[in-house]
Amino acid sequence: MKFKNMNKVHPYIILFMRIVLGLVFIAASYDKLLNPQQFARDISNYHFIPFGLENFVAIILPWIELFIGTSLILGIMIDGSVLTTGVLLIMFNFLVFQAMIRGFNIECGCGLKEGEMVGVQKLIENFTLLIFSYTIFINKKRIFEFYPKTTLS
Amino acid sequence: MNFRLQFIYLIIVPSFLGLGVNFINQNSLPLVAKSIEEITSSDHLKSSNQLANIRKIDIKLALELYSKKTLFVDARAEEYLSDGIIPGAIFNDDIEILSSKIDSVIGLDSAFVVYCSDDDCGSSEDLAFELQDLGFTNILVFSGGWKSWTDSGYEIQKYE
Repeated sequence: MKFKNMNKVHPYIILFMRIVLGLVFIAASYDKLLNPQQFARDISNYHFIPFGLENFVAIILPWIELFIGTSLILGIMIDGSVLTTGVLLIMFNFLVFQAMIRGFNIECGCGLKEGEMVGVQKLIENFTLLIFSYTIFINKKRIFEFYPKTTLS
Repeated sequence: MNFRLQFIYLIIVPSFLGLGVNFINQNSLPLVAKSIEEITSSDHLKSSNQLANIRKIDIKLALELYSKKTLFVDARAEEYLSDGIIPGAIFNDDIEILSSKIDSVIGLDSAFVVYCSDDDCGSSEDLAFELQDLGFTNILVFSGGWKSWTDSGYEIQKYE
């Protein structure tokens, strides 16, 4: 489904969205890369990942966030990057939502603000970034996209 | 390269990089997390072969330790303390102040209990790991926490 005119956004606005989304993901990865132990405990607090696999997620997820954030800003594999951000954001919102429904009063472990708790504000932030991802994905007229190249690059 | 292939690259390459960095890191995480050992008797507190600095206790042992005047530390956020605290429990948002307070009362190696709201709150475990990093070697995480304590009808103290 495509919303009316959502695929006709000006390339500079798309560039702005890419930079915002990229910076958010790079910033989110920073603390997690420095302290994977803490991130693993944050994941564990959601009581959702089975078999002790929170460590595995804590090891790989920050690197994925760093890669897609950097790719978005540098204009490399943008379609794949926004697809990944979209999948991750849907996953994050699902985790936050289930934690809220189960009454968990826990830190979100998002890596952006220390002590940030799960809640409606987090859901709205993620949803906004999800709209950014979708908008970037359906708008193929882009500037500063270097690999794979588009007609405008 | 289509977007599906890009997606696969963007998952696989950083995943292997992360695993590689973790492998060579001195403080590497095991790929599968071990759960915290649970103890059910105060006899285990002085075990000479104690390997873990952090262990879990249930309400029964928490009450036993409370009656033996063991130090309790409240790990909840300050806004939740208006409900009350376990009598004698200490609290401080600042980890440095809190740790020096615990150190001055019982030292680094004596057992003390950390608790938060309930089974699922997580902040007691987070605080336990932070305190472990600061040198404490005998930290007991009270699993049921405040909810389990008040549900059992045990005495509470007003927080001021």
